[in-house]
Amino acid sequence: MSEILSVSKLNKSFGGVTVARDIDFALQAGTMHCLIGPNGAGKSSFFRLILGEHAPDSGTISFRETDITRMRSFERIRRGISVKFQVPGIFKALSVRQNLEVAFQHHLHGHNLATTVRRVLEFTNLESEVETAAGVLSHGQQQWLEIGMAVGVEPQLLLLDEPTAGMSPDETRKTGEMLHELNGRGITILAVEHDMAFVEQIATRVTVLHFGAIFAEGTIAEIIDHPGVQEIYLGTADE
Amino acid sequence: MPEVSGSFLDDTPVEQRSRAAIWLSRLEGPQTMGRGPVFWAVVVLAVLGAAIYPQFTNPFAVGNTAYFMVWTFMAMGLGVVWGYTGALSFGQTAFFGVAGYAYGILTINVGAAFGFTWVALIISVALAGLIALLIGYFMFYGRIRGVFIGIVTLSVTLVFETFMAQTAGPQWRVGDARLNGFNGMSGMPPLTIPWFGGDILLYPGIGLYYTLLAMVVLCYLGLRMLLNAPFGNVLVAIRENPERAEMLGYDIRLYQMLAFGLGGALAGLSGALYTAWGQYITPSSMGLTAAALPIVWVAVGGRRDITATLLGTLAVLYAFQTLTIYGSQYALIVMGALLVFTVLVTPDGLIATAMERIGRLFGKTRR
Amino acid sequence: MELFATIFAMTYQFGDAFAFLVISCAGLAVIFGMMGIINLAHGEFIMCGAYVTAASARAGLPLPLAILCGALVAGIVGMAIERTVVRHLYHRPLDSIIATWGISLIATQGVLIVLGSTMQGIGTPLGSITVGDRSYSAYRLVLMAAAIGLLVGLYLLFYHTRFGVIARATIQRPQMARALGVDTRRIYGLTFGLGAALAGLAGGLYAPTMTMVPTMGSTFIVESFVTVVVGGADIFVGAAPAAAILAVIKASLTAWYGQLFGQIGLLVAVIIVIRVLPGGLSAWLKRSKQ
Repeated sequence: MSEILSVSKLNKSFGGVTVARDIDFALQAGTMHCLIGPNGAGKSSFFRLILGEHAPDSGTISFRETDITRMRSFERIRRGISVKFQVPGIFKALSVRQNLEVAFQHHLHGHNLATTVRRVLEFTNLESEVETAAGVLSHGQQQWLEIGMAVGVEPQLLLLDEPTAGMSPDETRKTGEMLHELNGRGITILAVEHDMAFVEQIATRVTVLHFGAIFAEGTIAEIIDHPGVQEIYLGTADE
Repeated sequence: MPEVSGSFLDDTPVEQRSRAAIWLSRLEGPQTMGRGPVFWAVVVLAVLGAAIYPQFTNPFAVGNTAYFMVWTFMAMGLGVVWGYTGALSFGQTAFFGVAGYAYGILTINVGAAFGFTWVALIISVALAGLIALLIGYFMFYGRIRGVFIGIVTLSVTLVFETFMAQTAGPQWRVGDARLNGFNGMSGMPPLTIPWFGGDILLYPGIGLYYTLLAMVVLCYLGLRMLLNAPFGNVLVAIRENPERAEMLGYDIRLYQMLAFGLGGALAGLSGALYTAWGQYITPSSMGLTAAALPIVWVAVGGRRDITATLLGTLAVLYAFQTLTIYGSQYALIVMGALLVFTVLVTPDGLIATAMERIGRLFGKTRR
Repeated sequence: MELFATIFAMTYQFGDAFAFLVISCAGLAVIFGMMGIINLAHGEFIMCGAYVTAASARAGLPLPLAILCGALVAGIVGMAIERTVVRHLYHRPLDSIIATWGISLIATQGVLIVLGSTMQGIGTPLGSITVGDRSYSAYRLVLMAAAIGLLVGLYLLFYHTRFGVIARATIQRPQMARALGVDTRRIYGLTFGLGAALAGLAGGLYAPTMTMVPTMGSTFIVESFVTVVVGGADIFVGAAPAAAILAVIKASLTAWYGQLFGQIGLLVAVIIVIRVLPGGLSAWLKRSKQ
């Protein structure tokens, strides 16, 4: 297996708050990797650094063996990274179809665009909502639409920020199946997630962030048995 | 480009539609109001009505209507920049003025033979577009947004006005063309069409009227197609959520700059046509009052739809001229009040709101 | 001695430009910095202050009182406009620009109709002083002092009074301020009124040096917009240093090439500043402080 994303000695702080502290991280191609940690551990900031929304103070980020540390966001996206934000980043005034078209028209045209839109609609169970304005969809449907927007052009790497936040158990289960299917198509997935049951359902590997630094990394079983992790994360989650 | 692995793709060959057919299909679409046979019947009737209008009225009214049409390009350009892209520009009159003066300088120096006036028109419009691209580059690549775009563009047009107003001295000349400071330039030839046995001069009158009508229709239909094309979708996506649009792989600065350039070129088209129409241009066409007027037309008409922008512009221009009979100060007060009223009561624009109501009456959902 | 005269001439040019930029942008900067609203009727509040000042000075009021009168009237008009129009547009900043522009059109043309195309002004007081072989207006020196006084006064108001503290709290965390029992609407109204009064003050201060025409506000707006854009959102960290930098540019270009190039130089400076320093000087200064 090869590394699709590798981060080395990444540092970033805002004023006195350090959100990334000497992060060394490697993501193996083809895996489903979860990023967990208590609130404020720097998970979302880590995503923003990967995406280029924040510039790191020091360190490098490589994607498929290209140094992307200094690239602008859209250039990283064009190299095959896709993202689904925690707050649905859909275009609420546009219809479901238009949302998907805007997401894909960069790479696809005409007939290919139309079929891709149709297949993604099928994949996300949104066929019946194709002309609905995205802003009036249910919360779960909005999340799926955004997943659809992120995967229609089949990125190499999909970043998901709390894909199941606010979903019902049924929607969460369906989302897990969706992610397994995407992973089966060869998409590497890196997800920030709070719901440990969901992490167990999808993750092949788990990394724990704490105060902007990597605290532990391993398989899901190793992480659950890790005494320190229980203390900082699982313990507080029970409160 | 990411390697598209293709399982969402269908590679079976299909009958490919021609490029022209694709563009024609974009006359209707999500970014523009109006679709279906009823809408297009109304459009055709409106154009036919405009075409036979000169038969039923006097030459003055024809020239006057041509004058109204001159301004619609600037308004539609502002609609693209402000309504579709979300960048509120107060400086469209700067591009109007640049092209107006450029047309004057070119035609006074070169003359009107062999249809050069059209070449001058194209050069002027290109120049306005290029300057808009340049200003757009600094603004959008400098990540200026929101209200600051308005301030910078307004400052640009006011400085332009100040500059042109002080060019009264005889040293301010380009070739044979005196800039004449506050009094402005005059004496440039109108548009001409080369013809056997002498050029046809397009003075305000029937010839110019039909030329402008054709240009308005072409520009309107062209913009409809552009706005429903992928380019237009991206503009609207950027207006709605710029961060997300960037995270879909779009260089939003580039799109905003291009839209701004297009808006500038259209304002320039109005400026060059205005100069050709009246054979004069003055610095006050870039002043504070002049800069406010396109905003009034587009805000009152409705900025988020090109049809509403066009209709609103014509309606407000007509109302403004009618009021000017009682004194232009009164007309400007009414314009100011209309602006405040629109913003407070129908933020989407009077015409756009009315069109939506009518659309609903016919039981058709918009967009 | 000649050296001193040259230095004095340059300092005078700079001080004059600095005073003009600070005084004309203060009202705009307060409203923008505190409320995020660009008030395009800024020039008309200046005109209002100038007209009231000139009228009351000619009615026999001493000039300083007349200027205060101008500021007061502009402030009251500002609060009235805040209550009727601007209040409804706080969550729509672009629309608030448009609406204030509408108000500006109404005000300019209304004054033109009611008071005619020009009004009798008041002469510049205090005569002139002579340094070297050139004479300088003493009133302009007063204006420079007024600019400094204005900055100090605003600093004291926002950092050392109850109103200032509440206003800054309201701007930073409106929900929190409301939860603590602050009448945020009243604070917004007062802040807008303060901005309008400062514009009126600018009009009053410059009334003796200008021709009274309804469009006189437009003389000020390019300079004040430019200062606010370069400065960014904070009046003390941003607008004051921006005014100093722009004053150097404007004074030197004006001295060498004339008024017009002073203005063009300002515009070019702005375009360059926004290209290299997004968020203006205040964002940059705050970042580098960290």
